[in-house]
Amino acid sequence: MIYTFQFGVIFGRMPELLQGAALTLELAMLGFWLGLAPALALAAMRSSRSAIARRLAGAYVTFLTNTPVLIHVYFMYYGLPEIGIYLDKHLAVIIGLITATSAYGCEIMRAGFLSVRQTEIEAAETLGFSRLQQIWFVIVPHIVRTVYPALANYFIILTLSTSMAMIFGVNELLGTAYNIASDNYRHIEAFTVAAGIYIVITFAATLSLAFIGQWAFRVKAKIF
Amino acid sequence: MEQILGQLPDFLSANNIAFLAQAMAMTLALTFAGCGLGFILAFIVVYIRQTPGLWALPFRLLAILYVESFRRIPFLVTAFLVLFFIAAFIKNASLFLIAVIAICLYATAFSADIIRGGFESVPRHQIETAQALNFSRWQTLTQVIIPQSWPVILPPAMVFMVAFIKDTALVGQIGVFELAFRGRELNNKGFSGILVFGTIAFLYFVMSYPLTRFGQWLEKRLATPRSQRPVGKLR
Repeated sequence: MIYTFQFGVIFGRMPELLQGAALTLELAMLGFWLGLAPALALAAMRSSRSAIARRLAGAYVTFLTNTPVLIHVYFMYYGLPEIGIYLDKHLAVIIGLITATSAYGCEIMRAGFLSVRQTEIEAAETLGFSRLQQIWFVIVPHIVRTVYPALANYFIILTLSTSMAMIFGVNELLGTAYNIASDNYRHIEAFTVAAGIYIVITFAATLSLAFIGQWAFRVKAKIF
Repeated sequence: MEQILGQLPDFLSANNIAFLAQAMAMTLALTFAGCGLGFILAFIVVYIRQTPGLWALPFRLLAILYVESFRRIPFLVTAFLVLFFIAAFIKNASLFLIAVIAICLYATAFSADIIRGGFESVPRHQIETAQALNFSRWQTLTQVIIPQSWPVILPPAMVFMVAFIKDTALVGQIGVFELAFRGRELNNKGFSGILVFGTIAFLYFVMSYPLTRFGQWLEKRLATPRSQRPVGKLR
């Protein structure tokens, strides 16, 4: 069987695809930034002195990181209406991404907290740093520098996982490609172009995150 | 709430349990087959990527291009691409096979990066020493590099595979009867979404959690050099 590729019909609808790509980035940004605050709170709980707080946060993180995000969104989108909570598909996906970020981000930040050594704080104390100065000049820079590369990496993974929004009919990049493919039956071409756009987006994100890291936090950039 | 609880006896019929057990087996089979095959192929990709010499340059570039691009494509897109590619050329291809190929393509790219990291963790002078002792490239790899890089490769590879149990939920979209797909089916049959997806989430947890713990144990064990591991009894 011979298959003739026709990329023309897909390139003709590039504006739609780019709009989809914009929505993909929007979902990733919302999921990432809104998830960071709960992630920080959870990480603080997990390293707190109270055993109950530690256990609670630990159970939450363990459960969320061991079950698929897709199932969480299924649960919210198909399950919650039964008890009278109706979520818009966009909202369900965004909440799914936020909870995922809160759990994975918590693990990343906890690793950052653990990387600060007692001796560093003692050294700052010896040099006459006040408590606030210790936090601002010693602890925070250290945590940021260990956490930043992992979070940047997580942002890329999150951007890729927004593609599951397509299953719920959200018109992000993959959803748009799927719609175009169902219009003209050019599935291979549509998904190849979508894949290309994903590569471009994530590569641009990696590059800019590496430069921001280098410039703002003096994190050594690693692109490949 | 009463309605959901009322469905419970119906939901836990022998039929449904067998149905879900089968779906779990499918999920695990997909993960192990795809990731296992991908892990082996990744060694070949890394071998190609590290082949020296000008004649190998196009192969090296191809290996780099493959790894770097497949790591930046969502798994769902890879799955769709494989599905439609194979469907265009082969009639009635098995969906299970298509899913395994898609997982394998994806897992190869990720494992290749893990394995390359492991190979690069072996100190340079060891390889030079092997060369000085007239080891061939293959001998250097199998007798010097691989034995020493296992502790670096195995834990992240394990983590990747366990994480992939969750990603297989996306494979249901191309029509493979795995756990997430079966969940939708039960939901469409009229069972409560809260009940069905709660159960499905629990089943994923049951599969993923023990393996996660095993991975953590492995990491801790391999991180300590063999000489420092606790010995049960001295001879």
